Amino acid sequence: MAITEKTPLELGPGDTARYAERPLGVFTRPQEGRGWRDWLSTVDHKRIGILYGASAMFFFLVGGVEALLIRLQLAAPEGSVLGADVYNQVYTMHGVTMVFLFIMPLAAAFANYFIPLQIGARDVAFPRLNALSYWIWLSGAIFLNTSWIVGGGGADCGWFCYSTNSGVAFSPSHGVDFYAIGLQILGIASLVSSVNLIVTCLNMRAPGMTLMRMPVLTWMLLITQFLLLFALPVITVALFLLMFDRLFDAQFFNPDAGADPLLWQHLFWIFGHPEVYIIILPAFGVVSEIIPTFSRKPLFGYEFMVFSGIAIGFMGWGVWAHHMFVSGMGPISVAAFSLSTMFIAVPTGVKVLNWLATMWGGKLRFTVAMKFAVATVAMFTIGGLSGVTHSVAPADTQQTDTYYIVAHFHYVIFGGGVLGLFAGLYFWWPKVWGHFLNERLGNWNFWIMLVGFNLTFGPMHILGLQGMSRRIDTYARGYGFEFWNMAATVGSLLIAVSVLIFMWNVVKSKRDAPHLPPPGPDPWDARSLEWSIPSPVPTHNFDTVPQVHGRDEWWHSKYAENDEGQVVRVATTEEAAQTGEATGVHLPSPSFWPLAVAVGLPLIGYGLIFNLWLALVGALLTIASLYSWAMEPVDDPDAAHDHHEEHHEAGDAEPDDEGDQP
Amino acid sequence: MRTSRPLNRVLAWVLLLFVAAIATGCASDAELDTFAPQGPIARELHSRGVLPVFWIAAVVFVGITVAMVWLIWRHRVSSYEGDDQWPAQTHGHVPLEVGWTVGFLVTMAAVAVLMLWSLPTVDATEANTMEVAVDGHSVTWEPTVVVVGNQWWWEFRYYFSDQVDLADLRAHGDAKTLPPADIVTSGQMMIPTGEEIELIITSRDVIHSFWIPALNGKRDAVPNRFSPWKIEASDPGFYFGQCTEFCGLSHSRMRMQTVALSPADFQAWVDDTTQDATEPTDPAALAGLEVFSGICTSCHVIEGVNDDVFERADQASGAAPNLTHFANRSTFAGAIFNTYNADGSLNRVQLEAWLRNPGDLKANYTVPGEQYRGMPDLDLSEQQIDDLVAYLSGLGARPADWIIEASQVE
Repeated sequence: MAITEKTPLELGPGDTARYAERPLGVFTRPQEGRGWRDWLSTVDHKRIGILYGASAMFFFLVGGVEALLIRLQLAAPEGSVLGADVYNQVYTMHGVTMVFLFIMPLAAAFANYFIPLQIGARDVAFPRLNALSYWIWLSGAIFLNTSWIVGGGGADCGWFCYSTNSGVAFSPSHGVDFYAIGLQILGIASLVSSVNLIVTCLNMRAPGMTLMRMPVLTWMLLITQFLLLFALPVITVALFLLMFDRLFDAQFFNPDAGADPLLWQHLFWIFGHPEVYIIILPAFGVVSEIIPTFSRKPLFGYEFMVFSGIAIGFMGWGVWAHHMFVSGMGPISVAAFSLSTMFIAVPTGVKVLNWLATMWGGKLRFTVAMKFAVATVAMFTIGGLSGVTHSVAPADTQQTDTYYIVAHFHYVIFGGGVLGLFAGLYFWWPKVWGHFLNERLGNWNFWIMLVGFNLTFGPMHILGLQGMSRRIDTYARGYGFEFWNMAATVGSLLIAVSVLIFMWNVVKSKRDAPHLPPPGPDPWDARSLEWSIPSPVPTHNFDTVPQVHGRDEWWHSKYAENDEGQVVRVATTEEAAQTGEATGVHLPSPSFWPLAVAVGLPLIGYGLIFNLWLALVGALLTIASLYSWAMEPVDDPDAAHDHHEEHHEAGDAEPDDEGDQP
Repeated sequence: MRTSRPLNRVLAWVLLLFVAAIATGCASDAELDTFAPQGPIARELHSRGVLPVFWIAAVVFVGITVAMVWLIWRHRVSSYEGDDQWPAQTHGHVPLEVGWTVGFLVTMAAVAVLMLWSLPTVDATEANTMEVAVDGHSVTWEPTVVVVGNQWWWEFRYYFSDQVDLADLRAHGDAKTLPPADIVTSGQMMIPTGEEIELIITSRDVIHSFWIPALNGKRDAVPNRFSPWKIEASDPGFYFGQCTEFCGLSHSRMRMQTVALSPADFQAWVDDTTQDATEPTDPAALAGLEVFSGICTSCHVIEGVNDDVFERADQASGAAPNLTHFANRSTFAGAIFNTYNADGSLNRVQLEAWLRNPGDLKANYTVPGEQYRGMPDLDLSEQQIDDLVAYLSGLGARPADWIIEASQVE
């Protein structure tokens, strides 16, 4: 299955990946089915997307409980809910969980599910690698959290885990070991996934889908994958050094052995700042799909949107040291990074105005998805502007490491990233599940979350400017921190309520679905290709691979502009949409080996920490699984074609009858 | 599904919060308030570095928010049901988009100019000197304090006779064996008013950050690195600070204070503090000295008692506060407790509680016999505690009443 083929998954008609015997014998390849076991072996990008999304929502609850514990501890001065030691673990794991186990995998869920659909492909370029990245991510996530049970507590060094505080002398439990190894495992998952999705975007697009015709969500996700590809190796190096320092006395970060503790900070933030854009760009993409749909207008300035995304992707590499303005760098370095930080505000500002221009003159229909999307723009604007205020390096010497920064990045990550992804959940839910999320509950979800969010993080601006430090487990009476901390805690409880409403909405919508009219392929009268196929999406995605003629291909197959520039309908949704009834589409076969490879990695991790023999077992399992994977036949065309005698030849991989229809 | 009423309600909420925020932000008595500069450096930083960019951000915020609210109000429809009319399909407008790209560039260029204009306020150093009398002879002092972070307290070192500068210390390179100083104190830094004080900031263990918001921004204390910083107070006063770089278990309880004294008062403080420790006379204090020499000297030093034999304690930080002039500081235990009550009497209750079990009051980390970070539980008897309090409370002159009063945070 060479990726140079025009439509590599178009192996012609045949039954869906079904076959009887394996000539090689030992490594029997599983069959696609509907039971729970099939989720373990699936290579379907949609199922993997759902797995990512469901796991991410689980860890959202874990991170959310950690957040509530933080807020309860800080609700009043001299709080005693957690105590200093546990507090440090909880706030560290809150950050790590929300970044690595919630937002990133939730964005990965969108990327997995929608990139192939938006570019008109039947799967990603490397389906088994896709499964591998999910299972490795899950094994890393579980590994990281088992440190609560077997590691003597979570990491207690903050998500940034600055040297030298991360050393064994200062953090003697195994928490930081779990952090160092767990994040390396998660990093492998993201790297595998980024390569896969980049190749998918570059090689799997439907005929006519040029790069500048790709939907903006796909564009932003593609940029995100490039950021992951280049950022993760940097943090991996740093984590590797930290791991060797802690487990094998390597002295990379020991100042008494001549090391410079600032090295860690540079490595961490060279990863850490692009990471911010890894978190926010997918949400930008989601918003760029939703606002046009519910404004009944195309996205204003597609080219500016795409290139400002690319500009953010590039400039994001040149701003990392703004996290270190007070670390003692020289004034020239400080000035340079201060300037680069300021100018990254330009492409982000352009995006905000382009979204507003999209709404301008439109017909704005405020579904829950649209509310979340517009709120994302509004809240991100606040976060972006508070970022500008401390891009001024001297001002930052007053603001850094205070709650002002906590407020800032929560407005960016929660206000921008999380609200944006919630917009996406409400928007694409009918596409994925074949029923809507309840709009009435959605409204409650939205308003309570918006108010709770602002009540939690708005006051933190004031607290920070009043001098409240970050990462403190308690504060004394009399510093003027009491009122707003209590307000923030009340706000966090409101966010918790809104999340519970969302969960209830998921359950209730599913329960009510049989009594409600199905959404059909295109419930929002939307614009991109995923709306041209049935909801839920059939296993093979597209009956026939679409031929793309321009941006918003699906919209243009429903509407055209007449001579006066008015929009006229040229086809109903039912006429234009695919039925999903094609049979015998050739699809990649499932495999258990990605799961087996992934199981070996945490064993290596536990082994490195507790007993090297266990690491050997884990390594053998991983290597053996990789070998088995390699030996597993890529596919079985004979079996796949067993209902189509006219296609019995194994080499029949280039169909002429599909994929090129006008 | 109707959105207008909840929207109004939320807007009302936001407005209310905003007004409340302004009200409390201005009226509050916050000891660490960054918007209340008390010295020329902090004032310039505030007026050049902080306020203008806040105004610029506020204007952009109001502009975008007003535009967004207007768009929502003007263009919202409740449903597309039965509506076949699509609005004009604008795909973009290049001159407009170039326009706002340039607009943002110009705005950010203005912010950049502000940054470059305010950067020297925190970076340029003045070559000021003052005369200080030490042991009877006058020395010309370039006001400098070496600030050393430790888990979880700050040490302040004053060099008058053998002055050190940044280059000397960088060449020396090791924060654990700093050259002997004329004054070594902790928790509370005394500075003369009207002088720019150069700070040379370092750390003995992990990264900390030194921050007196009223006098300047912050600077990290990085192990074995020596970073320059400066503060200046216009008037005599008491200025609070808090470690702002996460430094482990008791990060939240690592505080510090700067007390600005008139030059005459500063000289008096130097006169007191360069003396060796007061010799105890009453029996309880003598007994306290016994206890101190037997137990406390494994970590602490008192000049005239164990400075000649002191070897660094067997702990990760490598040191504990110098207690020679314990009683002339109005704070102890990493500046988290007041040494004196508001009425000027010794805060005996707090001091005894601290000696009874420090870990209850400030989380510490101990592996007995191996590692100590933070003061460990010493299992002292009540008699020993009483004696130690008697001894420690006689070490050094009681600070001025206004300092004791200013230490009280209400």
